[in-house]
Amino acid sequence: MTRHAHVPEPATLSVWQVVELARHADRPYSLDYIRRMARDFIELHGDRLSADDPALVGGLGTWHGRTTMFLGHQKGRSLNERVARNWGMMHPEGYRKAIRLARHAAKFGFPIVSLIDTPGAYPGAGAEERGIAAAIAAAIMEWFRIPVPIVAAVIGEGGSGGALGMGVADRVIMLENSIYSVASPEAAASIVWRDNSRKVEAAEQLQLTSRDLMAMGVVEEVVGEPEGSAGADYDAAARSLDEALHRHLQPLMTQTTVELLQHRYERFRYIDSLVHAEPQFGPKID
Amino acid sequence: MEVAVKREDIRIAGGPLPDIPLPTNCPGCGVGLDLKELKKHNFVCDCGHHFRLGADAWIALIADRGSWHERWGDVRSHDLLNWKVPKPYQEQIDQLMEDGLNEAVRTGMCTLGRRAIWLAAFDFRFVGGTLSIVAGERLARGMEQAAAASIPYVLIAASGGARMQEGVLALMQMAKVNAAVGRLHTAGVPYISVLTDPTFGGTAASLALLADINIAEPGAAIGFTGPRVIKQATYADLPPGFQSAEFQLGHGQVDMVVPRTELRPLIGHLLEMHA
Repeated sequence: MTRHAHVPEPATLSVWQVVELARHADRPYSLDYIRRMARDFIELHGDRLSADDPALVGGLGTWHGRTTMFLGHQKGRSLNERVARNWGMMHPEGYRKAIRLARHAAKFGFPIVSLIDTPGAYPGAGAEERGIAAAIAAAIMEWFRIPVPIVAAVIGEGGSGGALGMGVADRVIMLENSIYSVASPEAAASIVWRDNSRKVEAAEQLQLTSRDLMAMGVVEEVVGEPEGSAGADYDAAARSLDEALHRHLQPLMTQTTVELLQHRYERFRYIDSLVHAEPQFGPKID
Repeated sequence: MEVAVKREDIRIAGGPLPDIPLPTNCPGCGVGLDLKELKKHNFVCDCGHHFRLGADAWIALIADRGSWHERWGDVRSHDLLNWKVPKPYQEQIDQLMEDGLNEAVRTGMCTLGRRAIWLAAFDFRFVGGTLSIVAGERLARGMEQAAAASIPYVLIAASGGARMQEGVLALMQMAKVNAAVGRLHTAGVPYISVLTDPTFGGTAASLALLADINIAEPGAAIGFTGPRVIKQATYADLPPGFQSAEFQLGHGQVDMVVPRTELRPLIGHLLEMHA
C-alpha cells in the first residue's frame, strides 16, 4: 500500500472536539467541494427503480480535463434543507443510485470520486422495509466489480456501514478533522452501555480520528486543513482535497482493469495493521 | 466421488447434537421442556419456537456425521485498540475462549448428503456473534478456497453486527468479506445463507443477505438497525412482527422461511439442483 504525504502534527483538540468539528454545520459539504472541483458539474438523479435519494448527490463534471463521476453524501444547513437531505443519511434508494451511476461511469471509462460525509445509513422503519441491509451489502460487493478507478475521501463524518457503502475505493483519504468509525459514538455508547449519553467516552475508545485511521493503515493519506479548519476557508480546503485526490488518481489511470480490481480486492483483504499484528493474516495462506 | 443422494435420504441432523442450556418452559408456548425430545426436533418446540444454537450445534446439525474438518481454529482475536470499557476486551475474549467458544465464526469443510461443502457458522454467544477481524479472516479464506475449488458455500448467520471493540477494523471486514462473496458469484459457486435469530447490522449488510438463496428461520429477527435504536432515533412505533423472518419474506429480502427440521434436506436438495 503506497502512502504519500505525512500525517499532520498531532492536534491540540480533544477527540470529542474533533467529532464536533467533523459534524460542524460551517464545514464544507460535498457540493461545496464538487462545484469547486468541477465548475461544469451536472447533477444526475434517481436509482431507476423507484426514487431519488437527496442524501446522496451524484453527477458528471470535468475534472483536470477528464469527465468524472462525482458522488457524495449531502447534508443541509437550514432546517428545511437538513430535513430534505435527511441529515446526509441515505435510504436504500441512495445506494442503488450510487451503483447505477458507477455503472454509467464504467460504461464510459470515467473515474469516480466519492465524498463521504454521513452519520450513517438512515435508522428508520421505511429504510428497513425497503431493504437497507441488502442495499448496502449489494453496493459494497458491487464496488469491487466497477472497472474504473475510484478515489474516495472522508470529508466530515464517516459513520458505519452507511459510509462504507460509499467507501470501497482504490484509495481512501481523510481530511484532517474528519472521523471514520464502526458506529457513531452515540450508537457505540448505546450498544456498549445502553446509554448514548456516554458518547465522549465511546469516541475516545473507538479510535476514529484521521490520525488513528492512518496509523491503522485503513486510509492512504490525511489531508491537512486550512488554518482554523476546512470551514474557515472553503476554497483552500477544496484546493487541498482536489490536489490530493488527483495525485492519488494518477497512478490508477494507467493500470489495467485486471490490476485495478485485483489491487482493490487486496487493499481491503490485507489491511496493513492486521498483517502486522498477526503474521497469519498476510497474503500467503495455505 | 459425488453420489446422488435423494432429499428423503438426508436425515434432519447430520451428527448427534450437543446439549444446550434450556429454560424450564418454552418461551413460545409455556410448556415444560424435555431436552431429549427437543434434540430429536433440532431444538424446535412443537409450538414452532426455535431455540438459538451455537456454532457447535449448527456444525453437528448440517455436517454429515464425522465429516467436519475445521480450518483456522487457531487464528485468534487480539485487543488491537486497547479497549478498556466496560471491561477490557482482551479479558473478555480470553474468558470466552476458556469457556470453550472459539470466536464468533467457525468455518471448515464437511459433507452434506455426501456432497462436499464449505460451512461457516456464526456463534451469537461470542460477543454477540459480532463480525470481528478473525471472523472476517475465516470467512474470506473459506470463500476464496470454495471459489477456487468450486465447492458450494453454506453460511449460518447469527450476529449483532460489526464488533465495536475492534473499531473501524471490524467495519472493514464487511468490505473484505463482500469482496470474497463476489468471488464465489464470479466463480459460479452456489452460496446458501441461513439467517437465524438474530441477524443485524454489519452482518446483515454484508454477507448474510448476498447469497444465491437466502433462507430464514421462522420468527428470526433480521434487519439492519435494531428496534431499540430505531425507536430512539425516530420515535416510531414499530408494528408487531417488524423485522421478523416473515416480514423479510414479504419485503423480498429472503427466498423462504423454513423450519429447522426441514433445513438439512432442503439444503441438500438445493445443492443437488445446482450441482
